[in-house]
Amino acid sequence: MSRSARIARDAVASLRANGHRTVLMMLGVIAGVAVLSAVIVTGQGTRARVAELVSRVGLDMIMVRAGGDVQVFAPTADRGLTVLMESDARAIESDIPNVRMVSVVQNKRGINVVNGDRSVTTRGFGVEPDWIEIRRWGIAEGEFFSAQDMGAIARVVVLGRKIERELFPHGGAVGSTVRIGNDPYTVKGVFTENGVDAGGDDWDHRVVVPFTTSSRRLFERPYLEQIVLLVDDASKLRVTAERVRELLRVRHGMGPGKPDDFFVREPADVQGAALETSSTVSALLFATSIAALLASGIVIMNVMLLSVSQRAREIALRRAVGARASDIARHFLLESLLVVLLGGAIGAALGVIAAEVLALAGVASAHVTWLPFAAATAVCMAIGIAFGLQPARKAARVDPASALRHQGV
Amino acid sequence: MIELDALTKSYRGAGGGGPAAVHVLKSVSCRIARGDFVAIMGASGSGKSTLLNILGFLERPDGGSYRLEGADLSLADDDVLSSVRNRKIGFVFQLFPLIDHVSALRNVMLPLLYNEDDVPDGSARALRMLESVGLAERAQHRPSELSGGEQQRVAIARALINDPALILADEPTGNLDAKSGGEILDVLQGLRTAGRTIVLVTHDRAVAERADRILLLEDGRLAAARTVVA
Repeated sequence: MSRSARIARDAVASLRANGHRTVLMMLGVIAGVAVLSAVIVTGQGTRARVAELVSRVGLDMIMVRAGGDVQVFAPTADRGLTVLMESDARAIESDIPNVRMVSVVQNKRGINVVNGDRSVTTRGFGVEPDWIEIRRWGIAEGEFFSAQDMGAIARVVVLGRKIERELFPHGGAVGSTVRIGNDPYTVKGVFTENGVDAGGDDWDHRVVVPFTTSSRRLFERPYLEQIVLLVDDASKLRVTAERVRELLRVRHGMGPGKPDDFFVREPADVQGAALETSSTVSALLFATSIAALLASGIVIMNVMLLSVSQRAREIALRRAVGARASDIARHFLLESLLVVLLGGAIGAALGVIAAEVLALAGVASAHVTWLPFAAATAVCMAIGIAFGLQPARKAARVDPASALRHQGV
Repeated sequence: MIELDALTKSYRGAGGGGPAAVHVLKSVSCRIARGDFVAIMGASGSGKSTLLNILGFLERPDGGSYRLEGADLSLADDDVLSSVRNRKIGFVFQLFPLIDHVSALRNVMLPLLYNEDDVPDGSARALRMLESVGLAERAQHRPSELSGGEQQRVAIARALINDPALILADEPTGNLDAKSGGEILDVLQGLRTAGRTIVLVTHDRAVAERADRILLLEDGRLAAARTVVA
């Protein structure tokens, strides 16, 4: 074992022998680093969530939602808005350049789907055949419905993966008949698994029928919740979105100064809005954690300075048996560093756990990477050195002769 | 082994206010041969401990010269002096300071911590040292579990672990009862017999008389008192 390693081991022994002092010094670091890493983990979670949403939604998709307020994620309840019509979708399709395909979207919660003695209440969607391509959904079994089904107002349905599992635990859904409301529907296909989306919406827990069927039979209403469209040239997405907005304002007869009764969502909105909501809180917590860490650094410095005074005779003894001034400095600097690094490790772990708990509770998203640990290590090293240097210098400057002369311990 | 010539040392008046310097050592000269057991006697405040600290390179003299084994280290830096303390000198202090939170064995191994090279059989060596002071069976005890005499013997074992040529003892029996003190002096005499050079500082004539020679430190000067007939 090298001289440095022996001194390091000795510093560890000193810390262990003074457990109370060590824990006292560590507390602030633990708290500060815990908050810091929780902020990082939830911040990264939000970012990851948004990135996932954008990639799922695609950078070439525009969504028009009924209602004028900004809605990044799906509304949590049916809103019964009556502003968006199929004719709006057809106008977008025919009047606006750069639009590749369009689908209307209706949806309604509380749709009851029954197979024999199994039943499930879920969210129903009425869409057009192009919808599956616009939303980049996949079919696991069977197929999506066609233009013919649309024309025939066919009672066909495509099931989300979870619905299929609940109603057909032994498989064989495609081709079977389920009852929706009072009518029999033929299961045409099953979607691939999509998971829960960023807004907490379970994409696998839904059923999709042709728009004609939903508007005339199932929901019995013409109004739309959404219009979704794909553009040809994603670089002109913003211009296209603006044109959609202008067109709808004209079609909805809105004069100057009147707010939109719809919301045109493009990928940038998703990103911006989702990040904005969390950034204020993050900044506040970040500042708090830095303040806590600085305070803990000052505590450590003072405890260490006190400890140097109390241990002057021990230092003198070590010097007498051959410790160099630099060995003593190293010993005390290591004590400070080990305290903050251990505190940092505990804090980082607690912060990650806290973030995961918040994520489980649905309050925040968590995405654990190496970053909080790297940040904790860097911050702790900085604090340990910044606040450990002065006690270490003081320890190195203890004059062994005079410390031994004052023999009263 | 040790050559002192006209060594001087003074301290500035403590408290900062009084500039009056205290001349502790005015002109100390002596020769101590290898294998000598020398006691330095003097009244309290006569500068005994200062002289011992200078011999142990814990303090530097203001003037004069000090040669240890022929080498003048007055210009050596702290790292060199630390290394000399580590390898060539063993200290035994009055208050036998030990590190409280580690075992006797670990205390004995303390100097090895600062050796330049690793000592792979350090704990075996430390155990032999404890054995030589009759404390092998107490190796795993903490200092607080040992009597004063035992603690001082641990300190002697610690002083011996790097096989130093010179043992410096500052009132090693000062805090012990007569019986324990006598045991410590027996150990020191045994070391002398084994060929080590020992310089002991005391104000107690009975203690000093265990040495081969007694030097008196008076008025900042050292004078031979008498030679003890062994």
